[in-house]
Parts: sequence; C-alpha cells; structure tokens
Amino acid sequence: MSPVSAPERPVRAEESAAAARETLDVTLVVPIETVDAEIDQVVEAIGAQFERLRKGWECVLVYDGVRGAAWQKGQALAARYGSRVKIVGFEKPFGESVCLSAANEIALGKVLVTSPQYVQIDPIEIEHMLATLEAGADMTVAWRKPRVDPWLNRLQSASFNWLMRKINGGKFHDLNCYFRAFRRQVLAEVAVYGDMYRFLPLIAQRQGFRVVELEVRHLKEWGKAGFFGVGVYVRRFLDVVGVVFLTRFTLKPLRFFGSVGMLLSLVGGSLLTYLVVKRKWIDGQGLSESPAFTLALMLFVLGVQVIGFGLVGEIIIYTQARNLREYRIDRRWDDDGPDEPHAHA
Amino acid sequence: MAPVPDISVVVPVYNEEDSLAILYQEVRDAIDAMGARWELILVDDHSRDTSLARMLDLRSRDRRVKVLHFRKNFGQTAALSAGFEAARGAIVITMDGDLQNDPADIPRLVAKMREGFDIVAGWRKNRQDGFVLRRLPSKVANRLIAWVTDTPIHDTGCTLKAFRRQLVKNLSLYAEQHRFLPAMSRGSGAQVAEIVVHHRARRFGQSKYGLERALRVLLDLFVIKLISQFAHRPLHYFGLFSLPFAGLALAVLAAVADDAASWPLLVFSAFILFLLPAVHFILLGLLSELIVMASGVHKRSVLDRLVNRRPQEAL
Repeated sequence: MSPVSAPERPVRAEESAAAARETLDVTLVVPIETVDAEIDQVVEAIGAQFERLRKGWECVLVYDGVRGAAWQKGQALAARYGSRVKIVGFEKPFGESVCLSAANEIALGKVLVTSPQYVQIDPIEIEHMLATLEAGADMTVAWRKPRVDPWLNRLQSASFNWLMRKINGGKFHDLNCYFRAFRRQVLAEVAVYGDMYRFLPLIAQRQGFRVVELEVRHLKEWGKAGFFGVGVYVRRFLDVVGVVFLTRFTLKPLRFFGSVGMLLSLVGGSLLTYLVVKRKWIDGQGLSESPAFTLALMLFVLGVQVIGFGLVGEIIIYTQARNLREYRIDRRWDDDGPDEPHAHA
Repeated sequence: MAPVPDISVVVPVYNEEDSLAILYQEVRDAIDAMGARWELILVDDHSRDTSLARMLDLRSRDRRVKVLHFRKNFGQTAALSAGFEAARGAIVITMDGDLQNDPADIPRLVAKMREGFDIVAGWRKNRQDGFVLRRLPSKVANRLIAWVTDTPIHDTGCTLKAFRRQLVKNLSLYAEQHRFLPAMSRGSGAQVAEIVVHHRARRFGQSKYGLERALRVLLDLFVIKLISQFAHRPLHYFGLFSLPFAGLALAVLAAVADDAASWPLLVFSAFILFLLPAVHFILLGLLSELIVMASGVHKRSVLDRLVNRRPQEAL
C-alpha cells in the first residue's frame, strides 16, 4: 500500500538508534558450514554486482566452527579487499541462525543480503532484489525457478513448501533458499534462533513486514541428492509444527491446546457415552470386555491434559506480556506542535 | 507544547472512511460542550479503504486529532493497546469507529468517573443489531462472563468505556482481552461502574463480527478466570481442575470396595486414568507457580495495586 501524502512528516515509529551505525548500503552475510566453501567466488561475484550498482558494501564471513581451506580463502579475501571483508568464527558449529545474529552485531549495511557459501543464484539477480527493497519491501526472498537439482530433491522441497503454504497460509514457494535481502529492522524485531533461519520470511511477514518473493535463476545446487536421514524429516516436521504454533498462537496458547484438547475429549467422551449406553440398555455386555472403553477413557483424559498445558501456556504469556508487543506502528502523527497549515496533495 | 488534555478518546479504526468525519464532529461537539481539553487518538488498523487519508485530513484541520497507523491488521485489542500507550488524558475513553456508539454519552461517562470510579462501562441496553446473530450470543456470553469473573457487567462487548489513565497504563493487553478489561482490573481492586448508553444502528460499512466469535470467547473465559483471579496463585486454579478427577478416582475405589470381584481390570484402569489428570494438574499448577515466581510479575502487581489506590489524580 502506498503511503498517503501527509500534511507533516510522519514519525517513522521504528527509526532505531542503530541507524547511526548503518553507514553502508549493504552487507553481504555468508555463513560458512564446510571447508570446501567457495566463498571466494561468492564474494567476487556478488561484490562485483554491488560495485556495478554503486553500492557501498561490505561482506561478513561467519565461520560456523569451520577452519581449514575455507579459512585460508577467507584470509586471502580479507587481504585482497581490506576492511570490506570481515571475518568472525565460532569454535564449534551453532547453525545459521546464530551466524546471522553474529553478523548482525557487526554489520554496517542498511540492508543485509544472505547467501549460501557457493554461487547458488545468478548474481545479476541482486539488482532486482535490492530494487524491490527500494520500492518499499522490507524483505525479498529468492525462488529458484526453474531448479537445477535432481528431481527427487525438487519434489521433496516442493512438498515441504506446499505443506507450509497449506498449514500456515504463507505464500512462499522456496523457504529453503537462503538467498535473501532484507532491511536491518527485520532482525531488530524478529527473533532468529534455532531453525528459525529457514522460516524468517514467514515470521517477518507475520510481524507485518512486507516480504516479496522473486523468481531467480538457479545456477547450481550443493548438498546431497536423494533422500535424507530420518532425523532430517523428523526435525523438519517438528519445525513445521513449531512455526505454525509460534506464528499463529503465540499470544493465545489456549486456543491451540484448547482446540486440540477439546477435540480429543469430545471423541473420548462420545465413545464413552456410547459404550455405557450400549451396555446398559442394549446388549448388557460387560465394559471390561471392550478395549474401546479404555481407549475412550484415555482419549478423554489425554484431552483434559492437553487443555492443562494450554493453561500453563497462558500463564507464561501473561507473565511475559510486557515483552511481547502484539502490534507494530508503522507511522504516527501524534506530536503536539503548533499548527502547520500545509497544502496537501 | 499544547496543554495536556483532560480526556483522551481512543478509537480503533478499520475501514471506516464514511464514519470518520462524523465521528470527529460528534466527539468534538460533545467534549467541547463540557469545556474540557481533549485529544482524539485514531488508531488505523491497516484499513484497506481511504480511512488513513481521511484521518490525516482531520488532523490537518485539528491538531487534537492524533493518528497511529499499523503496519498490518493486528486487531481491535492491539489497536486499543496502542491507543492507551499514546493517551495522555487523565480519563481515557474507548469507542468504536463505526458510529454505533454515541459520543454524546461521553459527558455522562466522565461524570460517573468523577464520582470516584476507575472504570465506567457502557451498557447497550437497546441494541440495534440482529437478535439471533448478535444480541442472543452476546447476552449468553455476557451472563457467562459476569458469572465466571464475578463482575456485574451486562455488556462486556461494548467498546464505549471510560478508564482512569493510570489503570490502562499499567495493563499489558494481548489476544482479545479488551472485552475483559473490567473483569481483569477488578482483580487489582479497581472500582467498576456501568451506565446505559445509546446504541445506534450501523450507518456505513459492514459489521465485522460473526457468530464464531462466541466460541472463542468461551475458551477465553478460562483464561480470564485464570488471569483475573488466580494469576498469583495458579496452583489454586489447577487444584480446581484436579479435584473432580481425584474425586472420580476415589469414587471408583469406593465402588469397588463392596464388589471387588467384578471387572477388576476395568476398575483398575479407570482408577489410574482418573488419578492421572488429578496428579497432572497439580504438577502443572506447581510449574505455573514456578513461572510466576521466576517472572517477577507478582512484585509488579503489588506496585500496580498501590498505584490504583486513592488518592488518585484529579479527573
């Protein structure tokens, strides 16, 4: 939605104190996960695009517990680019979310661009992504289309994204692509931890940020082809459940637990009623003969317990409510200065 | 700097382009007639029509109109919450943006506040809405809310209410709690009164609520009871849930006492199954005690109560 022309300058509610620190246009953030990372190519290719677009840029390489050849490459880049290339490293791997937070601590760019550790996307797409931000978006995410990796991976990825869209109502087709550009403000308001890196666009959108998906040219894909370990699927599934819960029910846990619990109790309760009625008035069969009786009781009890968890959730939210602001003010016109009669278009 | 207003009127706005000018005029006429200083805080909940432009238009003519614009649609509670935060008047009045509340009631709300109440709630005794879809569910819900929360209010759904500013500044609202404000504040000792207010039929736009809301309100009731009366002693609340199950477990035992031979397995499993939630709820209650204790919310609440004690700031 385009801003309405105003008789006075609106106070951008979220002009942070950090603005003083944002002296560059853009910071490229590359989390490095393995020793064979092709970061020299990434920094060269994307850096060249930033130069072409006349952006003041820098690059933060975050070594996620990785040393060896990747570290040498980073040192070479630092020697070549000087202060444009910054290097931070952890002693052990903490995951992309922590890498991003670390980069955010030292980055000087108004915009962060995250990229995988190899040239996954045609670097030329940077221009479109930055242009989209300039046009008013808070975040642009890449959608690899068409993809160049094996069909099995494409199928798995497509199913995952389809599931996320169905369950969570988002509109993203490629949450697994970490080629993204976003304003710093996004990280100031969206907590990124654990596996939330993947779901950053979803959560940002939920917070009211304007997130745009752009189709980009996919150059190559690293990583395993075929099926992953069982653990990967289990974690992914748990992530989906977690994200749905966190994006939709954070402030009303009982809505979630209560609905699930009531459903279970209702099923158990109806089954119980049916069995008792059947025994008493229909066939007089002993209840102990029926395993369904135990099942019914257990469902009922389980439902009640689920509701109990929801109530504890409510206690947590109540005690933390001051830290969880539910709304974001975009612009405000509420100062009390003297009247400034302006013609307004 | 303009002088601090006596009365802040907070209005959540969502797609009310036709109503805004009239609303402003009515509010202005009503409060100017009292000779009070006021501000009108319009919180735009990311309207999709021209509401924001209309608001800014009003502001360009009268600086007492304040405008907050949400980044996306966050709902009525969030809008009120933002309005409360911005409000500076000693009395904060909330009302709907759809003209169904009548600003002419404001002087009466204020008069009642000056009798020494902390909250004065409006009661739409003659509602101008459909009976089956709006009035009946609302009536049932209100009875239930009044009974559960022990707050004698007929019409929790009426947005037209007046609050002492100190009170709303100390609240953190979330989810859909705005309708339960009186009940929640009573927990910390607020004096709540109610007066009958006018209710007008909708002139513009669409009604934004439906029947399914009543179901959600039902779940919310559990929460309100918990938060308004048991927030600082959750174990007691969970104890209430535990008790019936403990009773059932005992009843099963009692039943078997004189007839031990019949369905032993069944009796055993029933006993266990009833005992389980009884213990479970006690454990959850203890967990909640821990959460409350660790959060420090109990200390803050004592301060809130002290703030809410008289002598109050003059209204």
